Amino acid sequence: MKSSIYILFIILGCACKKDDSLNVIPRDRLSDATVWTDPTTADVFLNDIYGKLPDGNNWWDPMDNWTDNSVCGYSWPESRNVIQQAAYTPSTLSFGLVPLDWRTNYANIRKCNVFIKSVTESELTDEYKTSRLAEARFLRAYFYHLLWMTYGGVPVVTDVLNSSEQGDAIFIARSSSDETLAFITSECEAVSADLPDAPAQTGRATKGAAWTLKGWCELFAGKFSESAATNKKIIDELGGAGVYSLFPDFGGFFMPENNNNKEAIFYRQYLPRVLAGRLDSYLGPTFTKGGAETSWGGMGPTQEMVDAYFMANGKSITDPGSGYDPQTPYANREKRFYQSIVYDGTWWYNDTIYTRQGMGSKNQIDLADKDDASNTGYYLRKRLNDKITLGADNWTPPGTSAQNYYYFRYAEVLLNYAEAQNEAVGPDASVYNAIDAIRGRADLPGLDPGLSQSQMRDAIRHERRVELAFEDKRYWDLIRWRTAHIVLNAPVHGIAITGTPGTFTYTPVEVPGGNKKFFENKNYLFPIPQYAIDQNPKLQGNQNPGY
Amino acid sequence: MALLLIFIFSATDSISQAGITVRGTVSDDKGLGLPNVSIVVKRTGKGVTTNSSGSFTIDVPDERSVLVFSYTGFTEQEIPVGKNRDFNVRLSGIETRLDSVVVVAYGTQRKSSLTASISSIKGSDIATQPVANISNSLAGRAAGIISVQATGEPGFDGSSILIRGISTTGNTQPLVVVDGVPRNYTQIDPNSIATISILKDAAAVAPYGMAGANGVILITTKHGKAGASTLSYSGYVGWQNPTKLTEFVNAYEYATMRNAANANVGAIPVYSDYDLQKFKDGSDPDGHPDHNVLKELTNRNTLLTSHNLSLSGGSDKIRYFAGLGYLKQEGMWGTASYNQYNLTANIDAQATNTTKVSLSLNGRVEDRNQSAVNTGFIFYQAFRTPATAPLTFSNGLWGSYIGRTAYGNLHHSGYAKTVGYTMLNQFSIEQQLPFIKGLSIKAAVSYDFNPFNPTNATNPGAAITSLGRVWSTPIPFYNVDTSSRPYTYTLAGNDGPAKPVFNEYYNQSQAFTYQGFINYNNQFGRHDIGLLVVLEARNTKSTVFGASRSNYSVSVPELNNGSSNATDISNYGYSAEAKQKSMLYRISYGFANKYLFETSGRYDGNYYFAPGKRYGFFPSFSLGWRLSEEDFIKNISWISNLKLRGSYGESGALAGSPFQYLSSYTLYGNAVIVNGTASQGLYENAEPNTSITWERAKKTDIGIEGVLWKGLLTFEADYFSEKRDNMLFAPNVIVPAEYGISLSQVNSGKMSNTGFEVTLGTNYSVTKDIRIGFSGNLTYAKNKLEKVFETSSTFDNPNRRRTGRPLNTLFGYRALGYFQESDDADGDGIIEPSEYGVSQPFGVLHPGDLKYEDTNKDGVITPEDEVPIGKAAVPQIMYGFSPSISYKGFDLAILFQGAAGRDFYLTATAAWPFVNGASATKENLDYWTPENPNARNPRLTPTPASNNTANSSWWVRKGNYLRIKTGELGYTVPVNISRKARIQAARIYISGQNLVTWSSIKNFDPEVSVSNGEYYPQQKVVTVGLNLNF
Repeated sequence: MKSSIYILFIILGCACKKDDSLNVIPRDRLSDATVWTDPTTADVFLNDIYGKLPDGNNWWDPMDNWTDNSVCGYSWPESRNVIQQAAYTPSTLSFGLVPLDWRTNYANIRKCNVFIKSVTESELTDEYKTSRLAEARFLRAYFYHLLWMTYGGVPVVTDVLNSSEQGDAIFIARSSSDETLAFITSECEAVSADLPDAPAQTGRATKGAAWTLKGWCELFAGKFSESAATNKKIIDELGGAGVYSLFPDFGGFFMPENNNNKEAIFYRQYLPRVLAGRLDSYLGPTFTKGGAETSWGGMGPTQEMVDAYFMANGKSITDPGSGYDPQTPYANREKRFYQSIVYDGTWWYNDTIYTRQGMGSKNQIDLADKDDASNTGYYLRKRLNDKITLGADNWTPPGTSAQNYYYFRYAEVLLNYAEAQNEAVGPDASVYNAIDAIRGRADLPGLDPGLSQSQMRDAIRHERRVELAFEDKRYWDLIRWRTAHIVLNAPVHGIAITGTPGTFTYTPVEVPGGNKKFFENKNYLFPIPQYAIDQNPKLQGNQNPGY
Repeated sequence: MALLLIFIFSATDSISQAGITVRGTVSDDKGLGLPNVSIVVKRTGKGVTTNSSGSFTIDVPDERSVLVFSYTGFTEQEIPVGKNRDFNVRLSGIETRLDSVVVVAYGTQRKSSLTASISSIKGSDIATQPVANISNSLAGRAAGIISVQATGEPGFDGSSILIRGISTTGNTQPLVVVDGVPRNYTQIDPNSIATISILKDAAAVAPYGMAGANGVILITTKHGKAGASTLSYSGYVGWQNPTKLTEFVNAYEYATMRNAANANVGAIPVYSDYDLQKFKDGSDPDGHPDHNVLKELTNRNTLLTSHNLSLSGGSDKIRYFAGLGYLKQEGMWGTASYNQYNLTANIDAQATNTTKVSLSLNGRVEDRNQSAVNTGFIFYQAFRTPATAPLTFSNGLWGSYIGRTAYGNLHHSGYAKTVGYTMLNQFSIEQQLPFIKGLSIKAAVSYDFNPFNPTNATNPGAAITSLGRVWSTPIPFYNVDTSSRPYTYTLAGNDGPAKPVFNEYYNQSQAFTYQGFINYNNQFGRHDIGLLVVLEARNTKSTVFGASRSNYSVSVPELNNGSSNATDISNYGYSAEAKQKSMLYRISYGFANKYLFETSGRYDGNYYFAPGKRYGFFPSFSLGWRLSEEDFIKNISWISNLKLRGSYGESGALAGSPFQYLSSYTLYGNAVIVNGTASQGLYENAEPNTSITWERAKKTDIGIEGVLWKGLLTFEADYFSEKRDNMLFAPNVIVPAEYGISLSQVNSGKMSNTGFEVTLGTNYSVTKDIRIGFSGNLTYAKNKLEKVFETSSTFDNPNRRRTGRPLNTLFGYRALGYFQESDDADGDGIIEPSEYGVSQPFGVLHPGDLKYEDTNKDGVITPEDEVPIGKAAVPQIMYGFSPSISYKGFDLAILFQGAAGRDFYLTATAAWPFVNGASATKENLDYWTPENPNARNPRLTPTPASNNTANSSWWVRKGNYLRIKTGELGYTVPVNISRKARIQAARIYISGQNLVTWSSIKNFDPEVSVSNGEYYPQQKVVTVGLNLNF
């Protein structure tokens, strides 16, 4: 017995000596050596970056709530308290779920830089490098364009920053807005050659995605001839070759059964109960059958938006010849209206949604801002799938909605082209062709011939608002048109419907919680967050004006 | 187990031996005979116990033998036999602490020769406390303990214990050691605990090296003593109620407030006069409900009961202690409960005259039950649901609010059951080496199953889960149609998955600890020498495995019964490992029991860090001077004991997480859908720091302790000071925000922590029957950030600078009160900057909004105007005092416990009405109106105005409190009566926990742990208990 104790001591004594005996290999981590030698593993790194693209079908307070298109049905989110009120400061800036945050985007940009650097230096095949590096550079350009639209010129980081090796070189000053744009567009152009027309796997970046991003950024910057050229290339080379075309059914385009169709250029995919969308019960009608709250009513379309839809004959409701009757405001409207808006009496999610007053409907326009019911008298229909069961099952992660979220679709390319071409050259036939293709899909007649450049501008903007409504595009349009300080300082309206069927009275009322503020002298750009300025001496003294 | 008991009983017959026979009696200091006192012949293990009148007879080998008299609650005495054959021994109560034995790191020492700062709590002090988690019994009981109980939820209600406050921004948890091995202690049956030692200064913690800097809690479990077997029962039945259930406004108040809020923003009223009337008169309970949501969801007087049976005894050859414990705790609702089963067996056998073998087994099973919807969410719903919402209908069905049903979440969501299986095993063998007097060696091997929560290895107090089963069902809810007569009730929605989901997971963790001891103690004349060397190696492995299925068509929760569709099936699993190797020593030298010197330390290695950075040396030195042994004091009769001591040393802390030295990537599931299928993702971890290593604490302690007037007053006071450097701190602010990744921690922060603690005690017998006692302790600790990473925006502004201030100091604007109507010069209802002179850029301002101080006088409120507005939530002062009195068989003891030097920041639902559609608290009724210009709360708005929710002094509450932590009144049945029932001793008592609380936080328990108040409140418990010794 004693000898065994001595032996134990000896063993313990020896074991304590060796440093290596404390080695533990963590099994939940991979090393450089593993990640960048195997294309499958490197792909998994790239997948993480794709996953960081905006998750627009999981926002309960989408970006159109920042605009005159819609108002959130509940009173607490960022749109109503921060953005709409222009109540943000460099130290309190918050976008809710919309991923425009400075730090988040730079984290994503670093991921791209790590991938680009490591794959470039790796011994992976040239074929792999060519295609995947192009994707990563496109994704980096995408994140930069979010920053650029939000903050203007930003520091352009293309290297993997390393404080121990690079010293003070890790502090990078802002590039100008033009320089930042030039980086985004040149990257898009450079990688487009290496990107496929159609993705080998749905959801990955394509040539069309790179060109669309480029053409959009050029349009955003007012570089119209460049934008027209870029968008024309998409129409001619990809549209003409049958890669892209308008999906015949505007409403159906957004439904899961039509995911990844030929109008889709760049999008995010969802898988029910795994990594799904939750937009149906975030944005759907608040109360459905049985009177229980099954959705949050996160987007109440405004009367201004409803009024923007054309009549079925293609005319604006303000046109004396349109046939619009304010006492039957929802009759004879264009198809997109019925495919986008839920109004009083619409059958939707197995129920008739009544927003009229006086019949005790819980969906009645919520003028007291009492609960989540729409404050406008309208609910969103576009992008929502009424085959889905609403309620907590849908809104609890991982959710159950399967439809794609579209960053870019072909209709936008046509609109981008028409606008750029009209500004650069004037309303030529190619402009008419582009807009009429969009109108044609909605069964509307073409635009009147002979419009002046300025009439065409109004027509394109009007068409664009309707076609791209509730797709998180409107805010950026108001910014680049420089009309935000006009549009966003005007009250928005909902509809108070009183009376009985046949004798309804429709009274536009100001939306409770819909009042907005936008200061022309500063709000066209968001402030650079204070933490970014505090941590980078080269940003000091270079805050955006007005903050 | 049964076999084991038989073995124990059969081994208890002592073997008689030839020699000298001595006899005597043992009595207490009142002269009453003490039964069951253990008398052991030193170094032989041979022993007997006194009979019922306190008499004993024992055979000893020769006149050099030494008799050791010990009895729980009394100071052990050693008496050489010499020529004496008849002993009349008086044992004195241990309360005098004249010279008790104190459990120290890797051993025991006499209190008199201790040079370290250690507090002790007796197991018997906490055994009868009605708490399921013994960490809740420590507050106020010993100097040096700062504790906060964060929740009262059964099975999850442990306190976080800090020893002497906080000295680091990293992990602050003390190391917990049970019977020599790092282990989870919180669910150990308090009845099997012998002592708890709190090791505080460097001299005490240095033997724990890299794990000791936050202090150490040492628990020893009970061992048997030679003597007749004692079978004991102790048990109690108690009733629990929340110390404070947050009060919300009723339906009428809520509706009135909503209308007032709407009026303030120019909106039409939410509720009509008819509605208001209905809410007020309650005549339409389903159409116009008035629910007290939190109260209706919770039960009163829920059960807490505990029963414990223990057997102890033994002979000189073998001694044993065995205990069986059961505890049941109901929750505030039927779906929450906690059951605990403990089984302990400690066996010590004298294998040969010089070899002692010990086996210790400590197993427990814990059942935790909750609703499938987690408790935090239930409280979120309960705080949210206003009184006007249909929580339940008069026919028993339940309604919803914003698509959620608080009642359904609780009662119809399925269940989450977690079972913890723990088995702590230790085998040790100790060998006296006769060729050198006083030298012994010992080896101990421990195998612990689930010693830690494997997913939370740095928090030994965390709940242990071995097996989890979560069954989440659809949660239907109902709606009332008030347009029909009578009302009709329809199934209206589902607040849960469309079909049941079942998730089952296994966590398993096992630790192997190997320890080898060399112990040498000897006396050369007046020189006492002690030497201890321990080698220790420890290896922990943990594995997690889980699987789930959804879309159950049958309601039988088994994995196999779920949908077999691939997207309805998922699983996960991972594993981890930890290694540690160390050598430690302690050398003590005493001269004439008067001058004491000790040094101890540890050479400690840990897998956390890069090769070459793994081993550290942590030494300590301490001195003691027993003034009372000096001639010039020895003659002062009222000083029984007086000692000065001081220590200095270093210890370490593993503050961060392991592997920060590695450049690595983490793989995770379901990163993105590509090509229609879910794909994994891989991301870069924080930039590595190859030179990362442990935090280093330099601790200084100076203490004085004494006993005056023969135990009438005992006192102990310590001043302590710690400097923590190499403090791990993520230096993220030194790189730009554009850097894109966080940095690993670096060893460059510095923090200090200084304070003092005082313990006082007294025991006084007024008459033979009346005895009064008092003990009290107070700890004050204040820390200071000496060096942290800050941006220039805070560092350069003396108001905002974090460096030089205590950790977690609250910063914000200084609220000056409200804008009043008189501030609105142009009477348009809006306070323009021109009217106030300072721009507050948080939206349009109205009278009734908060006004902030423009500290830098630049005319605009920006973060530059921030000032310190309050202290951290961890108290700087913690104290307890406990008066006690006994009269004949009656005893009464009350423990008052308090905390001070603490602030708490209330936000969201705890402070503001209507946050994200939530209800309002009763406190919110005091809101600003022109007629109530000095209200507690700003003007009402439908959603809290962002101006008023800015971080400001307005929402800081003083977190000081004083509570009756425990109170116990007992009655011991006179021996002559209990003996008739063949019971040696019987005591009945009533006891209580958290009985009364005084605090300026009114609507929450002062230990409220979450700033929005949405948590399971701490419980007040009243119990009736019984202790029996057979």
